[in-house]
Amino acid sequence: MVVNRKGIERIKEIYQDRASRAQELKAGGKQVMGYLCIYPVLEMLTALDIVPFRILGQMSEPITKADACLPTIVCPFIRSTLDLGLKGKYDFMDGVVMAHVCDVGEKTSHIWRTYLNPPYYYFLDVPHTTHLAAQEQMKEQIKTLRQTLEDFTGKKITAAKLKQAIDLHNQQRALVRELYDLRKPDPPLISGAETLQTMVALMSIPVAEGNDLLKQVISEVKQRKNKLSKKPRLLIWGSIIDNVALVEMIESAGANVVMDDICVGSRAFFPAVAQTDDPLDGLAYRYLVELKCPRTFREATYGETKKDYIQDLESRFGYIKEYIRDWNVNGVILQAVRYCDIHGYEVPAVRDYLDHIGTPHIYLEHDYSEAALAPLRTRVQAFLELLG
Amino acid sequence: MMEQKKKKAINRLQTMYPLRANIDKMYERGVEASKTGKPTAWCMVNWWEADPILKAMDVEVVYPENYGAVCAAFGTAPAYLDRSDADGFPTHMCGYARNCIGYTSRMTELGQIPPEAPMGGMAKPFLLLCSGALCDARYKWFQALGRYLDAPVWTVEIPHIGVAESQDPATRAQVIKFMVKELGEFVKFMERMLNKKMDWDKLAEVTDDLIKVNRLWHEINELRKARPCPMHSRDFWSCMNASLYPAGDPKESLKLYQDMYTEVKDRVDKKIGAVANEKYRMLFAELPPWHDLKIFDELADRGWNFVVESWAYHPAKPIDTTKVSNPLERIAAETYHWLTGYFDEAYKAKEYMGYFAYPYLEWARTYQCDGGLLHPLLTCRTATNHLMLIQDRLLNKLKVPTLVAEGDIVDLKLFNHAETMRKAETLEEMMDHYKQKRRDEGLEW
Repeated sequence: MVVNRKGIERIKEIYQDRASRAQELKAGGKQVMGYLCIYPVLEMLTALDIVPFRILGQMSEPITKADACLPTIVCPFIRSTLDLGLKGKYDFMDGVVMAHVCDVGEKTSHIWRTYLNPPYYYFLDVPHTTHLAAQEQMKEQIKTLRQTLEDFTGKKITAAKLKQAIDLHNQQRALVRELYDLRKPDPPLISGAETLQTMVALMSIPVAEGNDLLKQVISEVKQRKNKLSKKPRLLIWGSIIDNVALVEMIESAGANVVMDDICVGSRAFFPAVAQTDDPLDGLAYRYLVELKCPRTFREATYGETKKDYIQDLESRFGYIKEYIRDWNVNGVILQAVRYCDIHGYEVPAVRDYLDHIGTPHIYLEHDYSEAALAPLRTRVQAFLELLG
Repeated sequence: MMEQKKKKAINRLQTMYPLRANIDKMYERGVEASKTGKPTAWCMVNWWEADPILKAMDVEVVYPENYGAVCAAFGTAPAYLDRSDADGFPTHMCGYARNCIGYTSRMTELGQIPPEAPMGGMAKPFLLLCSGALCDARYKWFQALGRYLDAPVWTVEIPHIGVAESQDPATRAQVIKFMVKELGEFVKFMERMLNKKMDWDKLAEVTDDLIKVNRLWHEINELRKARPCPMHSRDFWSCMNASLYPAGDPKESLKLYQDMYTEVKDRVDKKIGAVANEKYRMLFAELPPWHDLKIFDELADRGWNFVVESWAYHPAKPIDTTKVSNPLERIAAETYHWLTGYFDEAYKAKEYMGYFAYPYLEWARTYQCDGGLLHPLLTCRTATNHLMLIQDRLLNKLKVPTLVAEGDIVDLKLFNHAETMRKAETLEEMMDHYKQKRRDEGLEW
């Protein structure tokens, strides 16, 4: 199929049917590999010319099949991903790279293998801490991932191919930052919903194709005539958002979502891989230390013998203060999918930190369904009134 | 007569009582130690990875997870849960964690142990020791206590390799190497905290003692494969904490477990069951309703004998690590083996949840279970994630039906006793049906 649409139009097209391009590539002989959350090392897939395809859920699709093998009291996003898998929606994938992202993610990875038994499967056991030994362990895990991928494809990941892949992904990360810079003006040049659609699209196509598309989007957005209007500027923090419904609800209530700290957004794309003599060192550091999901335990100072709460908060959430400053944020919406324990524990601490730096905030909990968003609208409106 | 019958529904082990009493002294010891200036750590169940190091360094240890169960049983949990909710922690989170957060919040406000705290309460800690084993969210819980406490937090690492990934012989060596490095760092940290050096001979001795405790506890549980089963899950839960946490002096625990072994063996020899007329041999997963344990007496009245339970609370199948001279390596090897001890069989059976799920399949067969009671916990993902999988596998692979009764470990509002008893009647019909089906299909029991 010839791709006619460009820029934002193309982004929306991919967002609406995100498997279509991957299926097309698959039909053309490419291999497509699914991956769970942001910890699988995508550079390894790209180096083998495999299309990385992020496993996401579908908020609008009722969960029916997954009920038989995953209880209702676990993360509804993860349940949705498994449900789609069981319904055959991910059958086009040649395999999956799963990861120890959180407790439910880990267990679901094993359930996925038990019920779906894909041709290729690897479970990347991401360590819990960022200690030096944990970084070495992460590197060992990445080595094994590389080996199993080489065995599966019958191809070698040469140093040159890996470097090229790292460069391509770093280029994408830089382009995403450039796109996010377009949210800094007041009003922003691109909405939160469009940004999210772009992030989802990037996670559904080959990285080089994504980079070309991003360049088109950036160019198009810079030249926009119909600008958004000035409204309170919000940052969204929390667990996964892979559907625009929540962001659209917030923006339609009278706000501009100008920044995020979520894993289909800045969390996934901002950290780049540093150039290291052994590229696996840079990869291990990026994926274990630089990704800021609360699933990883971090301390302010390694081996501290006394806890200073504010110092601890500063070390864990200081980057949010920078986002607030650089994107001129008026308020923060903390949101979490119900039953997401790792974000749940974090909520009071993030609130404490936002109080400490004087930024208004509100916490929303939802169950990953479009229907449940309506009652939250009133709370968002009240928050926006508070911001003035 | 009725009163007498109820008391005898479960024939409790006499040796359970002194063991349980020794475990219950844990909090008292912590408070007393604190008064004399001895450091007290709050510690998560870590499957013997950090415990030997803490014990060897003469740190008094209390376990807030266990304390959650204590507060649930004593009825003080609801107030602590409310307090956690009021402090902004989501209500869906772990009942043990919310109980602990509420308790800590109140203790901080009062500047002392809350007067209503059962068993003397938990003394203010100088260290919060986390583990990533099985439940990742637990280290978030202790990190969250930073709002109230200035105690540092340390997390011990334990990799959770996949079943297939574990089959590579290099994997085990790599994981052990990682764990040993991390444990070495933990020892250095403790030396800084306590301003004293590790006594390595003592560590080797404590490690050896704990391994012996676990081996003996495992052997006691092996005896439960006998028909009738001599020991009920109630006794398991009452006594597991001398192994699991491990509460108390290991040498004392070893002696008490030895007494228990003798009693259980005697019952096996004399064919004395824990339930007078064992009609159904049951397995239980995972954490029981601590506030409603009497339901097991009612089920025992119906001939239900719970013969095996709670994989995560069982010690590993024994391995010989006596030739490993470095105690840190021995600790790592034992804990890794606990986690992965069923992986080889799971891999052969193409069951990829090698812990939590697969052991129940093996146990249903080796303990010859007729059915299971699965207890999804509305605030505990870790103990619940795998229950639907187990239900499916037990029924479809082994023709063992199960009953699902939702509840919680702490929040007593979430368990419906009457409904569970009604479901039990239905399960009995299914168990009778599937017993015949197993025979038809040539299964052993």
